[in-house]
Amino acid sequence: MLEIKDLRTKVGDREVLRGLNLAVRPGEVHAIMGPNGSGKSTLAYTLAGRPGYEVSGGSVAYRGKDLLGLAPEERAQAGVFLGFQYPVEIPGVNNVYLLKAALNAARKHRGLPEVDAFEFLTLVRDKMKLMQMDESFLSRGVNEGFSGGEKKRNEILQMLVLEPTLALLDETDSGLDIDALKIVAHGVNTLRSAERAIVLVTHYQRLLDYIKPDHVHVLARGQIIKSGAPELALELEERGYDWLLGEAA
Amino acid sequence: MSNTMTSASRRPTARDENWKYANLRALERVPFEDPTTAAVVLAEPTSAQTTLDDIALPARQAKLRVVLVDGVLNLALSDPLPDTVQIKPARQQTLETAGISSIDRYFFALNQRRRQQTLELRVAAATQLELEILCIARSVAQPALELHLAADSRLRLIERHLSAETSTGTADSATNLAIEIKLAKRARLDWLRWHRLAGKARHIETLDLELSEAADCELVQLTTGQSTTDTVSSRSTAFVRHNGAAHLRWNVAALADGSQSHDAYVHIEHAAPGAHTEQVFRGIASGRGRLGFNGHMRVNADAIGTRSEQSLKSLLAGGEAEANVRPQLEIYTDAVSASHGATVGKLDTDMLFYLLSRGIEPATAESLLKWAFISDVLARLSDSDLRHEIEASLVSQLPGAIAARGQS
Repeated sequence: MLEIKDLRTKVGDREVLRGLNLAVRPGEVHAIMGPNGSGKSTLAYTLAGRPGYEVSGGSVAYRGKDLLGLAPEERAQAGVFLGFQYPVEIPGVNNVYLLKAALNAARKHRGLPEVDAFEFLTLVRDKMKLMQMDESFLSRGVNEGFSGGEKKRNEILQMLVLEPTLALLDETDSGLDIDALKIVAHGVNTLRSAERAIVLVTHYQRLLDYIKPDHVHVLARGQIIKSGAPELALELEERGYDWLLGEAA
Repeated sequence: MSNTMTSASRRPTARDENWKYANLRALERVPFEDPTTAAVVLAEPTSAQTTLDDIALPARQAKLRVVLVDGVLNLALSDPLPDTVQIKPARQQTLETAGISSIDRYFFALNQRRRQQTLELRVAAATQLELEILCIARSVAQPALELHLAADSRLRLIERHLSAETSTGTADSATNLAIEIKLAKRARLDWLRWHRLAGKARHIETLDLELSEAADCELVQLTTGQSTTDTVSSRSTAFVRHNGAAHLRWNVAALADGSQSHDAYVHIEHAAPGAHTEQVFRGIASGRGRLGFNGHMRVNADAIGTRSEQSLKSLLAGGEAEANVRPQLEIYTDAVSASHGATVGKLDTDMLFYLLSRGIEPATAESLLKWAFISDVLARLSDSDLRHEIEASLVSQLPGAIAARGQS
């Protein structure tokens, strides 16, 4: 589904991703871990097409097509979803509109008609129940006045409504207490299917107690320096990253 | 200080501080001084006035509606007038205003000299009234309104300014409006002002507002062109005076698209202790549009305990667009709380990317963010019918954004 080869990304003058390779198949959950500044968020932003993240080399194939040649909105319409580490607040644009507009954009891309209003609300209400969100969230501005945990839940709600093919979740666990973490993890787990892939970017192993990955990768100095089974996350929790950085150096 | 105008008052120029950003050139050749230019001159209004078949009146938004065409009351289009509304011949006024340059009152004085009539409304003590004043401009108009709200009265006023569509297209109109409003003790005014100018309409206005002890006024004003291709320009000059511990909320939004120009100077004088002013301006200049907003807050030496908050923001959404927002504080006492913020910026790239990352098309995303930008002002509108009408009218400037609100 996702084939990243020798990806190089510059942010300003600094090369952050320095030849990153990663292959993700449908149905898989990959966890990408790594120390601060290793390039985890840069990878997520590069894949989502954020301006300012300039690809200076390599390739990314998504379902056999060149992902990097698509505009950010085209990537989203094609089924790529980025769950932000710091979701922005957009007062004045309400949540329900964003959800509906986003869903319709994706449906249009697939050649489907716009979603029926009743059907849409039923769908959203179901997903909100799953995320234990109050209905009043719908009429509020996007993330406006939300707590950190509410913002993260809102990201997952959007993901559940949009049902992406590839979900990139950038530190979705940061700033969550244990109860919120369980809710968010439950939301992510409901999306797991044989057709979808999920890439979790995280600092900590604790998220992986609730979302079991198929593969764990360590990203450091702009490259994947180690890949392994889920047990690698436990080892990282215990030993930190230094031993790997030493090996890679 | 007495501010009775004399004909010696000089016309403002771009060199005058408070007129730097006004499109004075557009007003240069308007024959406001020439009494023969008025399309309809009536000493007394009569019901024999013809209806204006070519003017499509918008849906009524208040129980009582009066219609002024080119500054003159049109009885055929208006509701029967209650005793509280009177039409008076033009007369000279004397206003007490401190620190106001006579240049700033040039157009007011011009209106006084050349107005054909004054629409006077009195809201009796402890009564309530809803009124819509529809001002339709076809040629040269100098409308004049005087509103007196007695103690404990309440007025919901909707004031709309439209350019008439005629069989030959949109009129190339020019309006010089004068409004004087006095709120007695504990009177309350909910005031919507909506300028929706079309064609090459030029609109200039002078507002005078006086608030007595415990009076309360909330203004929500929206100034736009009817479509992005209209080359309209407007200039609003307002003088507000707190004569007691009153509360004023002054919310203004303006959209300047294409080569449109909207400029405002608002002078708010705190002349008594304990008054409170909250001022919000949100403007979006697109294309080659120009916006100006100068919020001048004056606090006199005896106006202790004054509170004033200003939030003035403009968005530049065009390579050649221009916006100038300026909070101006003139404070003669220490015992005040005054905050102000003024920004001119571009669309927030983080917000834009967030919307794009959800699959929203760039043009829609941009218009959503513009909508969001002025929503601080529009959200103050309590009347949902009116808000929907305004939102629907903005479709040409902010495509996509209307649906955003429609789903809410």
